[in-house]
Amino acid sequence: MKRGYVIITNNPIVGGALGGKCEVIYITCTYEDILKKIRDKIHLGYRLMSHPLSGSVKPGETPYKSVMLSADANRVDMKSLSMIESAIQSCAKFNFKQDCYDGKILEDFQQVDLSLIKSGIDSAGIG
Amino acid sequence: MIKVVHYINQFFAQIGGEEMASYKAELRVGEVLGPGLALKAGFKGEAEIVATIVCGDSYFNENLEQAKADILEMVKSQKPDLFIAGPAFNAGRYGVACGTICAEVQEKLGIPVITGMYVENPGADMFKKDVYMISTKNSAAGMKAAVDKMVPLALKLVRKERIGTAAQEGYIPNGVRVNFFEEERGSKRAVDMLLKKLAGKEFVTEYPMPSFDRVEPNPPVKDISKAKIALVTSGGICPKGNPDHIESSNATRYGEYDITGVTDLTSDTYETAHGGYDPVYANEDADRVLPVDVLRDMEKEGKIGSLYHFFYTTTGNGTAVASAKKFADEFAPKLKADGVDAVILTST
Amino acid sequence: MRLELGSIFIKDIQFASELKIESGTLYVSKDALRQVVLEDEKIKGVEFDIAKPGESVRITPVKDVIEPRVKVEGRGGIFPGVIAPVDTVGEGKTYALKGMAVVTAGKIVGFQEGVIDMTGKGAQYTPFSQTLNLVMVCEPVDNIKQHDYEQAVRLAGFRVAVKLGELAKDLTPDETRVYETPTIKEGFTMYPGLPRVAYVQMLQSQGLLHDTYVYGVDAKKIVPTILNPTEVMDGAIISGNCVSACDKNPTYVHLNNPVVHDLFDEHGKTINFVCQIITNENVYLADKQRSSDWTAKLCKMLDLDGVIVSQEGFGNPDTDLIMNCKKIEAEGVKTVIITDEYAGRDGKSQSLADADAAADAVVTGGNANEVIILPKLDKVIGTLDYITRIAGASDKTVLEDGSLEVELQVITGATNETGFTKLSAR
Repeated sequence: MKRGYVIITNNPIVGGALGGKCEVIYITCTYEDILKKIRDKIHLGYRLMSHPLSGSVKPGETPYKSVMLSADANRVDMKSLSMIESAIQSCAKFNFKQDCYDGKILEDFQQVDLSLIKSGIDSAGIG
Repeated sequence: MIKVVHYINQFFAQIGGEEMASYKAELRVGEVLGPGLALKAGFKGEAEIVATIVCGDSYFNENLEQAKADILEMVKSQKPDLFIAGPAFNAGRYGVACGTICAEVQEKLGIPVITGMYVENPGADMFKKDVYMISTKNSAAGMKAAVDKMVPLALKLVRKERIGTAAQEGYIPNGVRVNFFEEERGSKRAVDMLLKKLAGKEFVTEYPMPSFDRVEPNPPVKDISKAKIALVTSGGICPKGNPDHIESSNATRYGEYDITGVTDLTSDTYETAHGGYDPVYANEDADRVLPVDVLRDMEKEGKIGSLYHFFYTTTGNGTAVASAKKFADEFAPKLKADGVDAVILTST
Repeated sequence: MRLELGSIFIKDIQFASELKIESGTLYVSKDALRQVVLEDEKIKGVEFDIAKPGESVRITPVKDVIEPRVKVEGRGGIFPGVIAPVDTVGEGKTYALKGMAVVTAGKIVGFQEGVIDMTGKGAQYTPFSQTLNLVMVCEPVDNIKQHDYEQAVRLAGFRVAVKLGELAKDLTPDETRVYETPTIKEGFTMYPGLPRVAYVQMLQSQGLLHDTYVYGVDAKKIVPTILNPTEVMDGAIISGNCVSACDKNPTYVHLNNPVVHDLFDEHGKTINFVCQIITNENVYLADKQRSSDWTAKLCKMLDLDGVIVSQEGFGNPDTDLIMNCKKIEAEGVKTVIITDEYAGRDGKSQSLADADAAADAVVTGGNANEVIILPKLDKVIGTLDYITRIAGASDKTVLEDGSLEVELQVITGATNETGFTKLSAR
């Protein structure tokens, strides 16, 4: 079934957890880079459907980010663009070193990110 | 003892007014002059002015690179712990000089610097984010009040103590957010602010929203081949000799020049008044900044309807946004009245 | 609705063999409380400790802070829909144990935040350095899922707080205050000349570790609605929020919501405090639009003249805050917003992730990125194992002398966005 949105994520567990319920584009990259990839999509006319700074876990503290984008591209949506730009900007305010994280913490971050995007998907109307 | 070098202009050194503004930078070791005496009194022996540098305002601004380099050497030779410039009050070129040299000393010598000036001094907008500047009155009558704030902040800077908010320390807000404890908790402050807002009374927001001066784009020009196009520039292009004396920086005026029959701007007829970029290529061929030649070609080829017979020009070099807005408010109605369909704005 | 709130001042907490309050001292039987905690089979152990103001003690990581209360008269019980059965609260008589708090601490996830220092520099920034804290660190059963563990610890804290609150049921309060708001119609006749004011509270509602519950309902599933402001005093709103220690609202803050209290101070004098409006901060953008539309609609329907809007959390909620402010102002209702800032360590970055000219009256809880040095303290309740990994800290956090170089955001309540503290910025 065709959904009105796609998920763009660098969180490895999102694809599996959402079990083919919706399209998931998985990219291996940093938090900031996934925001930039999303910006590229917005430049092509896709709209943000969930907030790029979802969660109070700070950018770069968590290495993971999942965002819902519209499945269809139209004219460039300026609201989406300014939202993603300020999200990218805010990355610079935080200073994290992730190399000290062990696997368990990464798993926690993955779970929290999954939960955040799931709450968006719930809102969009599928469980 | 904290060693201080103090910078003042020709006026405050009692050398003279505008007629002496070309006075070359001069180091006076062991001398304390004019406002330096007030500073000295304020320091109460905690710091000592070891030298005073005197420089004419015109000299500084017209020989910017030389003046900066010379003064930097003078400061360096005294190995001070602190550099103070001014206060400049409402003297525009003096304020710009104080801001410029403070920023330079801070960056190149890595010592704390402080100046002071009136908030509307063009130097304030240009340098308030770079250096601490005490907010002063608009004339030297405010000397005592200025010194009373400059001294404690200067000492804090030297001692690397925590710097409070703009309101606490008296400096011109520099956009840096500083924490402090209020008298009342936030919710009470919110209630008080709401009561004022409801009563139509004045209130002060604790976080002014960043101002985004966004301009909605106009709809596209329907048929460019029939459009009347005007040229406007902040690149300083003007008829040779700069007949209206547009300033090389911090412009307070703009020019309106007729280009009826002009098909090419040549080095004999046009030049730039701009002091913020290397003028050689603009002076060689001013079309490089204000493309009259190309637009005349396009006019001939029927690619545009016509080129408007006036162009408007100023220098965007440190010019206040408020001034630039005022200029446009004056000439934009003329463009409209004359049926101009589109404007090409060029900068440098 | 009328609520009489009685304060029982707790002046000391001691461990003892029996649970009781006697002349202002709370005697805590660990065994009695352990039983209450272990009712949940997801928890296999719990340690209790006491931290008093001025002691050289650091509590970290902190999950929630709760003030014990008990319903003495009137409908319902404390934490309706969560601990007490669902029933509308906010009327009758309630007693609160003042000067103390139950603090749930310990690791839930590997980046668990929240520091409460009882002395030194850090104590200035957390309101919970001023309370006598009964700290409980729960140990979960093995292989528990993060959300199950969060829920288990959250509920255990409430059960303990309710157990302690019940000790006060038959005591005489040291101080009593009455909070009363009229119905809409009564309000018009009682206070004809006074501006009609409401409090719009935005609730954190984004997912695991980011949730708030209203009468037990997950706040992301609500549409904006109105509460009588006394309802929160009986625990109508509880925190399931574990992230962003500095600007999340622990349950203690919901119970003692400072905007509610400070509006009550003016109620009937300079304003008519009409009601509390609650809304959420969801991840899905269409939810944001619906919620802010509804908030503004409610303000209009209630004929309000002014509102105070408070925020919770970082980033995403900035968007809700600005949307609420813009739409409420557009209805002609004067708005003051309370937020905090992430302006970078140097204070030079853009403070919020969103902005609008309509937000011309802002109260700020300060810059959460500001760096402070916390001294080494003698005792740690919980663990410092995670301190280098939490937001606002880094691998350079632990200095040679054992002091910690951290951003304010690690400290519980430091930049609270309901205006709970005096910290601000310019």
